[in-house]
Amino acid sequence: MMQEVLRLENLQKSFGSVRALKNASLTLKEGEVVALLGDNGAGKSTLIKAISGVFPIDRGDIYVRGKKVSIRSTREAMDLGIETIHQDTSLAPDLSIARNLFLGREPVNLKWLGVFAPLDLAKLRDAASALLKRVGISKKLDANALVSTLSGGERQSIAISRAMQFAAKVIILDEPTNNLGVEETHGVLRFVKEMRAAGHSVLLITHNIHHVFEVADRIIIMRRGEIVAEQTVADTDLLTVESLITGADLSALMKRA
Amino acid sequence: MVQQVMVQQVGAVISEDGAGRAKGRSSLMRSPQFSSFVILIVLLVVFAVADGNFLSPLNISNMMAFLPELGIIALGMTLLLTAGEFDLSVGAVFALAPVVVMLLVQNAGIDIGVALFAGLLLCIAIGAINGVIVTKIGISSFLVTLSMLLIVRGAALYITQGFPLKSWDQPGFFVTLLAGSFNIGAFRFYTSLWWFIGLSLLAVYVLHYAKLGNWISAIGSNRNAAVARGVPADAVKIWLFVLTSVLAGLAGMISAFRISAASPVAGTGYELEVIAMVVVGGTALTGGRGTILGTIVGALMLRAIRNGIVLVGVPGLAYNIFVGVIILAMLILHALLQKNAARS
Repeated sequence: MMQEVLRLENLQKSFGSVRALKNASLTLKEGEVVALLGDNGAGKSTLIKAISGVFPIDRGDIYVRGKKVSIRSTREAMDLGIETIHQDTSLAPDLSIARNLFLGREPVNLKWLGVFAPLDLAKLRDAASALLKRVGISKKLDANALVSTLSGGERQSIAISRAMQFAAKVIILDEPTNNLGVEETHGVLRFVKEMRAAGHSVLLITHNIHHVFEVADRIIIMRRGEIVAEQTVADTDLLTVESLITGADLSALMKRA
Repeated sequence: MVQQVMVQQVGAVISEDGAGRAKGRSSLMRSPQFSSFVILIVLLVVFAVADGNFLSPLNISNMMAFLPELGIIALGMTLLLTAGEFDLSVGAVFALAPVVVMLLVQNAGIDIGVALFAGLLLCIAIGAINGVIVTKIGISSFLVTLSMLLIVRGAALYITQGFPLKSWDQPGFFVTLLAGSFNIGAFRFYTSLWWFIGLSLLAVYVLHYAKLGNWISAIGSNRNAAVARGVPADAVKIWLFVLTSVLAGLAGMISAFRISAASPVAGTGYELEVIAMVVVGGTALTGGRGTILGTIVGALMLRAIRNGIVLVGVPGLAYNIFVGVIILAMLILHALLQKNAARS
């Protein structure tokens, strides 16, 4: 039995009178890819923002490796080993790849100078090159290249490898294949498989059900702020999942037609 | 002398800086600081040829006396712009700080040192109010600092009833510290030049070599990404607003001590002149890309233009036309270079 990494119990979050999240519970195990599906407004974003510390939850408990935690900021989430890769917003385009990889965790000399401490530029460059080599994209990319010169797929690869580098236990991918070409999309999906192989747990948010069937182990479906179904990929099919997302019984419709 | 040092620094920073994909000669030529620098040299040569007095010790001394006052504000503005915000209230703070200090000294009989400290606190408060409203309430810095410009300028006019105050003209520690002068050969320099050089080196270090600089660029480039990495974006911005205000107040004090007068209308229009210096130097108005060396080049350039076109005989009333045309030409050049770089 694989070890449990992240457990959410009865998470609740309201914005004014809107109950964006009602009693969401789920468990994520080690080396597992779980897809979080749901229509727009189903509460997927609220759920992952709560886990990644963007805003605090109203009620409910979060456990990391069985230990109850409270996550009040993105920094606390990162320190707990939860890395989130938001769609299109994870990198600063005017910074180099190396500086992006270590943003917020820059290697410095003279640490006592706090935010005024000088960056350890040599270490920054070396570590970035080593990381790019490890994730297999060093041939094409120079660690000093600005992110603004990269393609969408290359940017996703950088963001994902950053999450891997800090040995994150849980990697949350929010629409990682949005706006990507076919080849780039396959690159990202290959990455997801590699992360699983390396023992990371992945929570994948996407609209593309085909991708889910390609990489995920389990599927969790949300509707109107609630988790309405949980299925193992091996035991379900596309039509079932689609009808669960929309809430309509599509298979019945198909039969009637 | 300053210019020579800068040539070396421009080269050094461009070839090292991790933020640039600087490789070989072509990308060095394409960097915005470099093109600004070339244009500065061209301008200096043109002015020197057109008027023999342009490079005379007296004229250079004059330019160097004015340069730090706007240049110091421009350093703060560069950091603020790089973080994606700007401050239109600097010209008004430039006037209010010395006015308040002088009123405290002359009307309340407070010691000059204490009065300067009170002026410093006032600048910190103005910057903090700007920063908190921009980040916590989420109003654009254009609107917030435009309002602050009116409030601060209005306050300076009201408390002085519109009359300039005679400034502190007794020699002493603070006057020497801020506006003392010394001669090197035929050149006469003010201590403000040392302030400018020191603060410039500090700003180069912070923006290009320190952890904080990485954060500032990241915030201006993509605030959400920076926040998601645990960078305290709001705090950084608030401190940058405070810094910019304090530097504006410092520049105002330097100016007031130098000319022995504190005027409530001093620094009118400085906000735009400073922003012009910064963007002419190659810092992006939209944030993310900042260069202190570019700003120094920009400050020198605007100073040289204002000085040079008077010397070459452009009528005084026409000279803003020339300044405007030259700034516009610079910006067009930067935009074209940017486009070229993106295409290659």
